[in-house]
This record gives sequence, structure tokens and C-alpha cells, in this order.
Amino acid sequence: MRFPGRFACWILIALAAPVARICAAQAATRLPGELAWTIGYDPKTFDPAKVDDQESEMVRYLTAGVLLRFNRHTQEVTPSLAESWTVSQDGRTVTFRMRQGLKFSDGSPLTSKDAAWSVRRVLLPDTKAPVAEEFVSPAGVTVDTPDASTVVVRLPKRVVGIGKVFDEIAIEPAGRPSEGRVTAGPFVVSDYKRSQYVRLKRNSYFAARDGSGNQLPYSTGVRLDILENPEQQIRIFTRGGYDLIESLPPDYFELLKKTAPNTVRDLGAGLNTEQLWFNQAAASPLPAWEKSWFENRAFRVAVSQAIRRDDLARVAYLGHATPAYSFISPANTVWYDSKIIAPHTDVAAAKAGLKRAGFRLKGTQLVDAAGHPVKFSILTNAGNAQRNKMATLIQQDLGALGIEVTVVALDFPALIERMMHTQDYEACLLGLENVDPDPNAMMNIWLSSSENHQWNPSEKKPATTWEAEIDRAMNDQAVSANPVVRKRAVDHVQQIVADEQPFIYLVYPNVLLAVSTKLQGVKPAVLEPQVVWNVEELRTEVGR
Amino acid sequence: MSKPAVALLKWVARTVAIVLLVITGSTILVRFAPGYLSDAREMDARYAGVARAELSEEAARSHSLAGLVGAEIAGWARGDAGISRHFGVPVSELIRPRLAVTGGLLLRSVLLGWALALCGALMASLARRTSFLWQVPATVLLAVPTAAMATVCLISGHGGPVLVMALLLAARDFKFLERALRTAWLEPHLLHGRAQGIGTRRLLVAHVVPALVPQLFALAGLSLVTALSALVPVEVIFNVPGLGELAWNAALNRDLPVLLAITVIMALAVTVSGMASSRSQEWKSA
Amino acid sequence: MRLKVPVLAVLIALVLAACAIVLAPGTSYALQDRDLPLAGSSVHHLAGTDALGRDRLTRVAAALLLSMAGSIAAAALTTAAAAGVGAMAAFAGEGVGWAAMLVCDVFLALPWLFLLMMVRSALPLNTSPGNSAEITFFVLAALGWPACARAVYRGALRLKSADWMLQARAGGLKRMQVIRHLLPNMLPLLVPQFLISVPAFVIAEANLGALGLGVGPPLPSWGGMLLELDNSAMLLQTRWVYFPVALLVAVLLLLEAVAVED
Repeated sequence: MRFPGRFACWILIALAAPVARICAAQAATRLPGELAWTIGYDPKTFDPAKVDDQESEMVRYLTAGVLLRFNRHTQEVTPSLAESWTVSQDGRTVTFRMRQGLKFSDGSPLTSKDAAWSVRRVLLPDTKAPVAEEFVSPAGVTVDTPDASTVVVRLPKRVVGIGKVFDEIAIEPAGRPSEGRVTAGPFVVSDYKRSQYVRLKRNSYFAARDGSGNQLPYSTGVRLDILENPEQQIRIFTRGGYDLIESLPPDYFELLKKTAPNTVRDLGAGLNTEQLWFNQAAASPLPAWEKSWFENRAFRVAVSQAIRRDDLARVAYLGHATPAYSFISPANTVWYDSKIIAPHTDVAAAKAGLKRAGFRLKGTQLVDAAGHPVKFSILTNAGNAQRNKMATLIQQDLGALGIEVTVVALDFPALIERMMHTQDYEACLLGLENVDPDPNAMMNIWLSSSENHQWNPSEKKPATTWEAEIDRAMNDQAVSANPVVRKRAVDHVQQIVADEQPFIYLVYPNVLLAVSTKLQGVKPAVLEPQVVWNVEELRTEVGR
Repeated sequence: MSKPAVALLKWVARTVAIVLLVITGSTILVRFAPGYLSDAREMDARYAGVARAELSEEAARSHSLAGLVGAEIAGWARGDAGISRHFGVPVSELIRPRLAVTGGLLLRSVLLGWALALCGALMASLARRTSFLWQVPATVLLAVPTAAMATVCLISGHGGPVLVMALLLAARDFKFLERALRTAWLEPHLLHGRAQGIGTRRLLVAHVVPALVPQLFALAGLSLVTALSALVPVEVIFNVPGLGELAWNAALNRDLPVLLAITVIMALAVTVSGMASSRSQEWKSA
Repeated sequence: MRLKVPVLAVLIALVLAACAIVLAPGTSYALQDRDLPLAGSSVHHLAGTDALGRDRLTRVAAALLLSMAGSIAAAALTTAAAAGVGAMAAFAGEGVGWAAMLVCDVFLALPWLFLLMMVRSALPLNTSPGNSAEITFFVLAALGWPACARAVYRGALRLKSADWMLQARAGGLKRMQVIRHLLPNMLPLLVPQFLISVPAFVIAEANLGALGLGVGPPLPSWGGMLLELDNSAMLLQTRWVYFPVALLVAVLLLLEAVAVED
């Protein structure tokens, strides 16, 4: 009897040592002076012309030398590899004067020929560069190099905000695209281990210098760990393994606020919006009576009035969000219209509005004029805790009107299929990421013919007069060079959207960051990349 | 033909049949799952054009199900698992480094889990009054989701993927082993033996363990299935670059070629474990 | 047998207490007290509130009834299916056994996640949370049997060639009678399988929430509450997040005690 017990004990003790060894956490190696943070998944490409996902874009931002840089802090376009740039009166000719003595990271000279070749490559249909579409009609664009330091780009017609487009075009050595290995930006790709990390090293030929004439970037390199799990990310951050975390979920922000209060920053409302909308697509397989509710302005307004946005911000975002009533956030100071009149929380008004529109209560259940009980589902994406909480809060808010709501969370591909292809859904709660403060970047949402006109995509002609009015105003702002005319048109669209509520805006989530106290030179911005937009000026204490 | 040769031939034929069925079944399941022809990038103005072009290419490729299944089987017959739909690189390039990582993780956790379960079950079956000392932790381990267990390890900074998987396996296998051992000790010949004062050690080595061998092997198959299902959360949370993490990514991106490769590997693992347990039985009866 | 009566009584008392909590006037598992999210224990909320300010005690009680019924039924179904398929395959002749095990192996390797997605897409989006829960537990039961069936098959094959079985069959025992004697011998395999399946299904139901299946809001999901444990931010908020897992452990230990053979 004694033997097996003792025997088993010895085995257990013997096992303990190897277990401890096997389970020891792997410490990531950090080179001296290297910055480190995470990206969520493997970049799909390192070819800067073919970037078609966020993480590839991050790598491009860190490695690419560009003619013009869009300053995320001042929100102005500033010369980078170009010394100066001009746009002709008709907006169709853009002329760049390149800086003298530019070199690529391999030491070879960088001239206007390289810049022209890089712009032409992006415009070629074979390259399939997503950025080409921003030239509106890329086939008609020509690029010339009258001399070694001048590049002239001619456009078939004016493109609003053309300067920002050049922020996305990496200048590469002519005829030698290198997937980020030879660049004119602050860093070059030096090592990539799939699913583990992307390592960038300093470009010692990078043209920029600081005020005292020191060569930039300050840091010796960047390690981007490929890591999706916020728990791991926070653990490694608090141990000093990472310098920053962007887009912190509110609950983890609160956690870090307790454990490392000096590191967290809430920049207030960002540019992104969270919204709810009803499916008004003509092609949707919904029954006719449901479509008639969703097409009814009074119904949409009543739903908007019943939603307690303050609670959404306070409970779902733990206070790290701002109630939203328009598609432009107050953080976007240039374009936000503080004077728009939008439905605010008013349950009594919502009930009265529904009554006027022919809805009535049957017991506790709201029914329409024909007696159909008002019930619908709200679709949202699984894995986003804040959206799921908001949907559950809205479920109770609408319950107060007698509306029965079912909340369904689907994974993204299944959700997109319903939303964009089969149109088989009733209402949807999602967010919209705005990377550009200029409303021209939202043309694809507002034009009724667009596939991303979510509540009724790809309309052959505007289904309603107010949608026609939005089309007209958005097109006006897209062709005008006059900022006042553009602002007026965009304000008009904001008011129409507030009146008609095709999107019921819920909150503007705040920009939540964690930045190591050892990281120097940080000037966080609400625009992405929020912390590392001035990566060349960032350094860790150890790296000094 | 000799008997072992026939048996081997039968096993190969069975494995090929399973692989073919798994390829066909998986292709059908993935192709008809919602979202096969959608992409989150369709929502983003910057990338929507490229995403739609890729989707229409895939729609043309997968238009006929028979054609799609045929193409996949033909590819596998040539030894070519295709190109990942999401990553755009050959599937073999993705799988190879991860196979070693996951294989190592599985092997270490299965061995550790089994050792723990066996020790626990031995002690619990012999000292029945204190068996709750083993039952309670085993039950706690079963009631806590794997993801939560992994997170707790992560937060505390102690333990890693092997420990989490091993504990999970140990808890499950303990439940089976403890019961099997307890029943085994009640066999008349063992009761008789113990009453006659034969040492526990002798009884254990000579009677109990040999009698349990076939059951142990049958349980090994169950353990493998448990371990495979725990792979995804464990690898995702600990950021282990293994097959589980890849499978999860592939499922979220409807990456058919990668999913097929992973399911074929799983099918082979399951078949081999099945064969090992039936061989052991034959060996025992021989 | 002495142990089982009090254990059963405790289990029944637990269920009755849960019923009483859920049915008590003025309580609701759905009502959000939005001024008190993640509150600690108080007179109004004995076990505090969850992230949306809903009474945790009422939610745990309702989830206990819902998830326990669902997962116990699913575990019983899947164990019965495994026993049935395994025993049949062993006794119905070599060809059937071979085919059954082939099906099991294929079943174990297929990516069923996508079948679940298809089930979700075939259901109307406004399927009520209760129906969605029922369907989820049924699907889980339908997919959970093959691994155990394989083990049962191996065990049954061993018993088939045991001396007492040969004797019984030679003595003219009918197949059904044989199987009746077989099952008690398979209990050391089936009972743990059942006990393991219960928590596994509770958790699996919550994981399926990612596919739009499972217990939908505002119904409380026990598994959903267990999954709160994988969020360190939540763990630091209130100790009451451990309550559901503690209760699950207690229920499992009680079930274990009931299932002890004499």
C-alpha cells in the first residue's frame, strides 16, 4: 500500500522541475535602442504599392519615404522628400521640387526619376494598387520629370485633398521594387518571422534631421510583434517589453489605470463612430411590413429618441466614449457642425411619434397599423464586447417602447455576407473607422450608388429625395476648391442625416492609449497611427 | 501475402478513404459556410476594390462544387496543398514550421497530463477516503474554461501552454482512470490476493496495469481529441505559432486550402491513434 | 446508497432555491440597474451586479436552471449515442464495426465549426434566445459522441471475447440481453464521459456565442459568465465573478457523488 503512494509522489516531484522549465515564459529579445509594440496579424504584403490591409499599412508608414507627409498632429500636408510642392489654379497639375542629395537606404541616389517611376507604378492597372483609386481616374494621370529634381503630375480633373494621396505612395528605386528592404523612409525591413515579428532597422541615409541637426530617426529600429491577445500585450507592456499600446479596450484601460496610472492616456472622442441602422435595401428578403417600418422616418427617429446614449457611453465604454449625433466627431474641429439639430433621448416624444405614425401598444407589445408585432434583430460582430453591451442596453431601451429586440453576434465574414451580399438582416450595429478627417473620404458611404451605402447599397437612382440631396451636396464638396463652399455642403449633409436618421449615431469611442514612461518624444494624435506618427522622433530611455 | 502485410494494406486503404472523405466533407462545409465569399475589407473604402476583385476570382474558382473538390483532391494527389487564400503563400510553407511547434506541445502535454492523471488515479483509488483531495481539483480544472485557465496562467506569470493543456488532459483522464482503477481493485482475484497479503506493488505490476492497458490505449485516442480541441484557445492566448492558431485564423478568413491541410493532419492523427489502440489490443490478446 | 440520498437532496434543494430566486417577485435576470454596474454585495444585490448592472444572483440562478438542464440533457444524449453506436458496432459484425469506426474517425476530423455557422445562417435572425439555446445544446449533443463511441467500441470488443460473454452467447442469450449485461460493464467509461460532458457543454455553449448561436441576451448564459474569467480586467473588478464557477464545481461534485457505484 505504501509503495504506489510514495512512488506516485516521487514521480510528481520529478515532474515538477521539467514542468517549470517547459512553462517558463519566453522573453522576447529587444535590441538596444529598439522600439517595440504589436500589430494584430501578419502584414499581407511588404510591397508598399500593394498595401491592402491595416498592418501592411503600418509597415509602409514606418519604412516608406514619401514626397509629402500628412502631419497627424497638425492635420496639414507637409513636404518630406519634396522640398516644396504647388498645385495649379485648376487643380490639375501638381509640381514637386525634390530635396537635393537624397539617398536610398542602400546609399544609391534618389532622383525625380525614382519618384516618377514609383508614382507611375502605383497608377498601372497591373500593380492593383488600392491607392490608385484615390486619383479618381488613374488611367488619365501622367507623370513627367523635366529635370532631376522636379516631378510634375497631371490629373484629368481636380482631386480634393490630392496632397494626402502622396502620403501613401512610397518612393522606391526605379525598376527595383524591394518590398521595404531598400527605402527612403526612417526604417527598412530587416527581418520577418511569420506569426512572430517584423523587425525594422534604422535607415542611416534617412534625409530628416532634428532642430539641432542630429540625424533621425533616434531609435535603432522597431520590432513589431504579431500578437492579438490583449492580455499578453498588457502583460508584456507592464514588464517594459513594449513601448506603447494603441486602441486599448476600455476595460483594459481601467485595469492599467490601476496598475500603471502614469502610462494611460484618454485623448477624448476620436474620429470613429458607432452606429445602428435599419436595412432599407429594396432587394432584401424582409417582409413588406418590416420594410415599411424601416423606411418610415418617424420610426427611425423614435428609435433614436429611445436610445440612452449617455448610458451607452457610461456603461458599455466605462465613460470612455462620447454620445454621438452626427457622422463627424467633435474631434474633427474643421468639419464638425455644432449647430445641427438631432433627436436626443426623449422616450415620451418617441412614444408620441410612434403613435402618430400608426403604431400602438397591444398589452406591452408595440404593433403596427396592420397589427404586426414590432420585433426585429440587431446584428453585430462577435468578439467586440462594447458593441455587444450596447446592443443589450438598446434591447432594454427599445423594450420601453414595446419593441422586442433579439441581439445576434456573428463572425465578420458571416456578418458582411448578410450586410453586403444577401441583405438578409433587419438592423445592424457596427462602427465606422475614419482615418481621414476630410469628409471627402466618406464619399463611398454617402453616395447612393455606392456599395458601402449601407442602409440601401448600390441604388440605381436615389430611392428618396433626401438621398438625392445628399448625393448632390457630397458631389458639390468633392469638386469645389473653395473651403467655405465645401463646409456648407458638408454641414447640409450632416443636418439631412440628423433629420432622416438613416444611421442612428450612438457614440464616438475615445482614443485610449498606453505609452511607456520611458518613451520620449511622444505627441499623441487622434489620427492613426496615433502614437507613432512621428516615429523618427521617438526613443526609449535606454536607447539614448 | 503475409498477415501483417494485409493488415498494413487494409490500414492504408482505410486511411486513404478517410482522407478523401475528410477533404470532400471539409470542402463542402467551408464552401457553404456563410461568409465564404465576403471579406471585412469590403467595408473599407481604401481596400474594397482589391477585396472584391479577389472575391470574384475565388467565386469563379469555387463556382462548381464538384470542380472544387476535384481540384483539391488532384492537388493533394500531386502533393500540393495549394496556396493560402489569406496569406497568399504555399500552404506547406505555413504548415511546416507550425507542425513541429504543435507536435512538440501536444507530445509534452499528453505525456505530462498522463503522468499526472495516472499518479493521481493510483493514489485516489488506493486511498479512497482521501480521494476527494484529487476529485476536487480535477473538477475545478474541468469547470474552468481552457481560455480562462490560460489567462490566469498568463496573468500570474506562472505556467504556459504545456501546463494548461497537461492539466486539462490530466483532469479528464483522471476521471476515467480513477474509475477504471477503482473497479479493477474490486475484481475478485485482486481482493483475494490482497486478503492473502500479496503486496500492492506486485498486484499492481502483475495484474492491475496489464489488465488496464487496452483501456489506456482507448483513452489515448480520447485524450488526443481533447488535446486537439484545446489547442486553439491555448495557442491563441499564449501566442504560440502553432497549427491551432493557424486553424483559428484560417476559419475566420475562410481560408479553404489551409483548413483542408489542417483537417487532413487531424484526420491522420486520429487514425494513427485509433490504429495504435487497436494494435495494442491485438498485442494484448495475442 | 447511504451517500446518495443526502446528495440528491442537496441537488434538489439547489434547483428549488434557484427556482425560488428566479420566480421571486421584483427580481429579473434582465433588468439593468445602470447606476450600479459591477457593484459588490449589497442588500438589493446579494451577489452584486454584472457589467450591465443586472443582479448576479438572479442571473446565476436562472443560468443554473437553463444551462444545467441543457447541458445535462445534451451530455446524457451524447453518452447514450456513444454507448449505442459503440456497442452496436462491436456486436453487429466486423463490416459494420469497421464502417462505424471509419465514420467516427471522419467525424472527429471534420471542421464542424462551419456546420454550426450553417445552422446559424439557416435559422431566422430573430429566433428567440430560448429556442437558440435548445438548438445549440442539441447540436452539441449530436456532435459530441464519436470520440467516446470509439472508446466504447474498443471496450465492447474486449468484453465480447470475455469468458462470461462467450458462455452467455453460447448459452443462447439474445443480442438485446447481451447488451443489457454489457452496459453495466461499460459504466466506468460512460459515467466519466457524462460527467466531463456536462461542464464541456456549458462552456461550449458560451463559445458558440461567437457564431451567433447559444443562449442569446438577455437570457443569462452560465458559460458566458465562466468566460468572464478570461478577462483580467474583469477579475480585478469584483470577486463575485468566481461565483458561477464555484457553483459549477459544486454541482459537478454533487453529480459525481450521485454517480458513484456501490
